Amino acid sequence: MWSPIQQTPTCVVILFSIHFVLKAEKLLKANGISHDVIPVPREISSDCGMAVEFPCLAKERVLELLSSAGLRIAGLYSREGRDSFQAISPEELAAGVVN
Amino acid sequence: MPDKSAIYADNAATSFPKPRQVLDAVAAVLGSMSLSPGRSAHRFSLESSRLIFDTREALAEFFNCPDSSRIAFTCNVTEALNVGIFGLLGETLHPGDHVITTALEHNAVMRPLRHLEKTAGIGISILPVSGEGEVMVSELPRLMRDNTRLIVVNHVSNVTGAVADLEAIGRQKGEAFLLVDAAQSAGVFPIDVVRMNIDMLAFTGHKSLLGPTGSGGFYLRPGFGLRPLKMGGTGSNSETEIQPDFMPDCYEAGTPNTLGIAGLGAGLNFVTGTGLAVIRAHEQRLCRLFLDGLAQIKGVTVFGPPADRERAAVISLKVSGKSESEVAQRLDRDYHIMVRAGLHCAPAAHRAMGTFAEGTVRFSFGFFNTEADVTACLAALEIISGK
Ligand SMILES: Cc1ncc(COP(=O)(O)O)c(C=O)c1O
Repeated sequence: MWSPIQQTPTCVVILFSIHFVLKAEKLLKANGISHDVIPVPREISSDCGMAVEFPCLAKERVLELLSSAGLRIAGLYSREGRDSFQAISPEELAAGVVN
Repeated sequence: MPDKSAIYADNAATSFPKPRQVLDAVAAVLGSMSLSPGRSAHRFSLESSRLIFDTREALAEFFNCPDSSRIAFTCNVTEALNVGIFGLLGETLHPGDHVITTALEHNAVMRPLRHLEKTAGIGISILPVSGEGEVMVSELPRLMRDNTRLIVVNHVSNVTGAVADLEAIGRQKGEAFLLVDAAQSAGVFPIDVVRMNIDMLAFTGHKSLLGPTGSGGFYLRPGFGLRPLKMGGTGSNSETEIQPDFMPDCYEAGTPNTLGIAGLGAGLNFVTGTGLAVIRAHEQRLCRLFLDGLAQIKGVTVFGPPADRERAAVISLKVSGKSESEVAQRLDRDYHIMVRAGLHCAPAAHRAMGTFAEGTVRFSFGFFNTEADVTACLAALEIISGK
């Protein structure tokens, strides 16, 4: 199935529980940012939870939305391939320098 | 099928009937969906997580909570109050500290507090009630001590129907932690945790929120922690053997009552869709009609605020020369009217009202009662009290 997300580089944000995943989903939906709720990729964590994937282009806006809603981020990754992910370090996050 | 000729006047115990959409919501979940939210990544699990999330968000909006993650689900208000009172020990409340509560508390508050009095040397002061069964908030400053760490207040009495002035208590609570038992008020009276300065609000799903039994929860103000009463699987942080320290997960170990929470969501949706003011006005009309009628019946004594005061449609009375159980039994047997007789799990309230140990006959009307129901109750009482 064609999904706009798969046509562009995406990021995956990990939150602390399903409540925050769904809160993030609600915020992204309300702000018209395309996204998917996906199982946390095995390559990222052995935890059985869900994560939110969105276009990296929207990264700054997403981080801003999450932080203004008080949602703490457990991890942020860029998708490098179908099963490969690159962690975005807290320093990079803070500086807002990645792609 | 419910007996159509029966009149249910025991809504303070649990509301009946439930709105159609509550039955539908519960059936839909049971019939079509996984019941294990947040545990697996498939769509059923996600769907049930969404139901729970939506109910949490709706409750947060309803009580004006700044952050829905600060709402945790429990199986009723009793569990929520226990999580609060026992969970505060070692956090906000320490052995030897002082607690203020009211003479109108349910045993869901009194028993945990009395237990802490005995086992942790907590001192307890009781806010007295007036002759009309209302908590005397004006006495609060006199009872406050330097080590008053906790104030526990029943918002609406399940015995007298009196409403505690939460705003006044919230204004005067100082540094103490304010825990409110909203068992009887949530779904009828407006509750705003910010305006009322409430630190923890405990509610039950099966009374005026019109949900099923086995649902309830609490709101906890950001910045406060409670020692969880139970630990276990939460679906989050599964790689560690340590209980999560963030809400809501830290207080929600174990597979939740998805059915109950879905039903609670539907009940709340009915309440907000109908409008709290509409529900309140209807119950107030029934209450006034009943109280006005009772005033005309010789031998009936009412315990609680008069009709012109803000009060709930929970009315305690006695019929002279008749025992409470006899009145309740005759109402049920001869008139198909269901009420509750006795102490209503609130012995302290009856001590304060002078109706201990036999208690009272309690009528409690809900949104689905009609004026005809009230008239029938009055007619039955008239006959019972005359003989
Ligand atoms: C004031 C009050 N507190 C607590 C409770 C206990 O409610 P639940 O049985 O739902 O825990 C009730 C009702 O029974 C009540 O009226």
